[in-house]
Amino acid sequence: MAEALVVTNLSKRFGGLRAVQGLSFSVREGETVALIGPNGAGKTTSFHLITGFHRADAGSVKAFGRELVGLRPHQICAHGLARTFQVARPFGTMTVEANVMTGAFLRDRRPEVARERAREAIEFVGLAAKAMSPARDLTTIDQRRLEMARALATQPRLLLLDEVMAGLNPAEIDQAVALVGKLAARGLTIVVVEHVMRAIMAVARHIVVLDHGQKIAEGNPNEVVANPEVIRAYLGTGYVHAPAAGAAPC
Amino acid sequence: MLTTVTQAVVNGLLIGGIYALVSIGVSLIFGVVKIVNFAQGEFVMIGMYISFFLATTFGVDPLLSLLVSMPALFVVGALMQHFLIRRVLGLGDMPQIFLTFALSLLLLNLALMLFTANYQTVHTAYTDAALNLGEINVPVAKLIAFVLAMVLSAALWVFLHTTDLGKAMRAAAQNRDVAMLMGINPDRVFAVAVGIALALAGAAGSLLVPFYPVYPMVGQVFVLMAFVAVVLGTLGNITGALIASLMMGVAESLGIQFVGADSGLIVVFVMLLLTLAVRPSGLAGGAR
Amino acid sequence: MIAKLARRGAVWLGALALVMLALPLVVTSNFALDICIRVLLFSFIGVAWNLMGGYAKQLSLGHAAYFGLGAYTSTILLIDYDVSPWIGMLAGGVVAALASLPIGALCFRLRGPYFAIATIATAQVLMLLFLKFRDFAWGAEGTTMPNLGDAPLMMQFDGKAPYYYIVLALLALGLAVTWRIERSWVGYYLVAIGEDEDAAEAVGVNAARIKRDIYMISAFLTALAGTFYVQYIYFIDPNTAFSFNVSVEAALVSIVGGIGTLWGPVLGTVLLETTSALLQSWLGSARGGVQLTIYSLILMAVILWRPTGLIGLFTDAWRRIVPAAAKRERASADG
Repeated sequence: MAEALVVTNLSKRFGGLRAVQGLSFSVREGETVALIGPNGAGKTTSFHLITGFHRADAGSVKAFGRELVGLRPHQICAHGLARTFQVARPFGTMTVEANVMTGAFLRDRRPEVARERAREAIEFVGLAAKAMSPARDLTTIDQRRLEMARALATQPRLLLLDEVMAGLNPAEIDQAVALVGKLAARGLTIVVVEHVMRAIMAVARHIVVLDHGQKIAEGNPNEVVANPEVIRAYLGTGYVHAPAAGAAPC
Repeated sequence: MLTTVTQAVVNGLLIGGIYALVSIGVSLIFGVVKIVNFAQGEFVMIGMYISFFLATTFGVDPLLSLLVSMPALFVVGALMQHFLIRRVLGLGDMPQIFLTFALSLLLLNLALMLFTANYQTVHTAYTDAALNLGEINVPVAKLIAFVLAMVLSAALWVFLHTTDLGKAMRAAAQNRDVAMLMGINPDRVFAVAVGIALALAGAAGSLLVPFYPVYPMVGQVFVLMAFVAVVLGTLGNITGALIASLMMGVAESLGIQFVGADSGLIVVFVMLLLTLAVRPSGLAGGAR
Repeated sequence: MIAKLARRGAVWLGALALVMLALPLVVTSNFALDICIRVLLFSFIGVAWNLMGGYAKQLSLGHAAYFGLGAYTSTILLIDYDVSPWIGMLAGGVVAALASLPIGALCFRLRGPYFAIATIATAQVLMLLFLKFRDFAWGAEGTTMPNLGDAPLMMQFDGKAPYYYIVLALLALGLAVTWRIERSWVGYYLVAIGEDEDAAEAVGVNAARIKRDIYMISAFLTALAGTFYVQYIYFIDPNTAFSFNVSVEAALVSIVGGIGTLWGPVLGTVLLETTSALLQSWLGSARGGVQLTIYSLILMAVILWRPTGLIGLFTDAWRRIVPAAAKRERASADG
């Protein structure tokens, strides 16, 4: 299977802080990969680097064969990568539908077509009832749904989801997991940043663990959960020799 | 030649001190409250008129009138924050820009209506006095203004770095939400910040009166300088604003000396545009 | 259903157009016509500003730069080369549009209030330049237009009515351009940029290019107004052409009327200019500063009480009066 995303030796520092150091990992097409790690590990920064919001100091990001480092965010989006933000950033005064249409216009400039695509995306995330509400009137969770719909409207091949499960109750987590599952079934390549273990275990075939900007472990969920480095990063050295069962990080 | 240049530099530094007071105020408000006070120049003008009237009606020396203009403008600043600025926080750029912009227009045009556009001057014992350091002529009034401006700037630095309220202000400037979690009342901190900024503007006004004409539009000149200094010195960086102000004073002075009497402003604008083109985040900021 | 609503809207628009076209036949006093012309002119300038400042929230306070460039281009072409101001007007628009490229390149490096300050600076620089250059632009004293009598081909007319129709056409042009853009993908992109430029980039909006393009259009239109104005008053000088008041009023009428809306600038101009005219007749000749004092009070009131502009009042009232229309509006397209 082809590589959707190949990150090689990616690095970024902000003044004295090395946010991301020598990060390398790859994602196969159609795969769902989770990027996890303690707070401050560099997960969101990695997203920013991949999508062009920050310029990498060193390293390369190749998506579907094309080098992304140096490209502007809108070019990267046009190439097929879409992302959601950790804190939702809706276009507040526009309606839900208008928000999503803005995303849809990337692929087709015609308002009728964009409206149709927007309606599909809104339907998919379950916001159809609120399509005409101003985005700023939505609840936080609905705003996250909006983020996802808007990203989907750009018809991405690779979707980067930044902590979409944060603050959801178990029922909502199940819904979100189902949504991600549907997207994966369509063949979308997905990278999620997450803290909610239940969701990670459910969606991800492959996990990459970051700590202090570096990759400290990689593998399938079971391997990662038992990995002593991972346990140390989340819980501290004292827990490294604790029994594996029930020692899920975070 | 060297004398001419040195004289120009000295002149520039002296007036740069006043620019510094105005720009520090703008920088302080921007850093703490995160809005740009377009009306800062008008408060310099108000300070000037306060000192002017105290001088012409009661014979109070402008320097003494600092004791009136500064507290008065501090109170005005706190009120402005409480009744006006507070209402537009969090509403986005447009209301914030145009609120202080409207205030600037209002104060300027009220002054025009009340005082007419005429230039007024105040003549003190030391208005014409000057020190002569070698061949360099240093007007006493300007020197006093510069020294006091630096004293006030230093006092502000001390306040921000040693007092609890000052530290609270810097905390709120860096991260308002966390500051609130720490029990810092943002409204109180903002009110003090705006109060101080306006007091500094008023001080600039009073210090100017012995040697600068008093008229309604006077604020416009100084505020433009202040804005350029704030951008040049990196947004929110108070020390940067001070240094940039001094630099601009010197640049303007050299421009007036060597390019032409009315080119001071062009020199300053060129500096701004060059900064924007080459290093948009200012002297102290990193590359974008 | 939607067709019926559209037809109703078109009926209103048609009625308005008829009234505006017939106005000079009814209003014959020069004084009143002059007010109408000013209202139309500043509505047009406001509409031009609104494209950039209202929709995309790029708050320029230096649009006088383009007003002045348009005015000077056509005047120089007229006086030095005998070129008709009709052509000069277009030339001025092109000059302004081209000028907006380097100006934009510099100013867009700053955001928010600092962008505004940079635009003020550029307009000021232009004014200073034109004040100094006597060689090709008459310096500080400016110049008057050659009086060619009634010369329609040279944009000079005897009565005020022709000027009225010209500026009405300009306003119609501005409104048409805005209307077209508002409904298209450009309109959505503009609002997205105004709301959150980074988030817009994340969904594929080339913010830099859109800002550049809309700035060019805005500058072009503003320059047309500049040519018209100096032709109307038969005079030009740097203080008039690059007047800060023009920059201010361009922004003001949109904010007071309804920022980022089609009719907002028109509403704002009507309100501000009528207030100003009433004041002037009440107080006699304007004491320096009265007009702007009142304007600034109105602006502050609007910002504190209703920052989205007064047009909201009208649309709210309309929705309350005609609830059926409101429901249909919600069911149909654009958010």
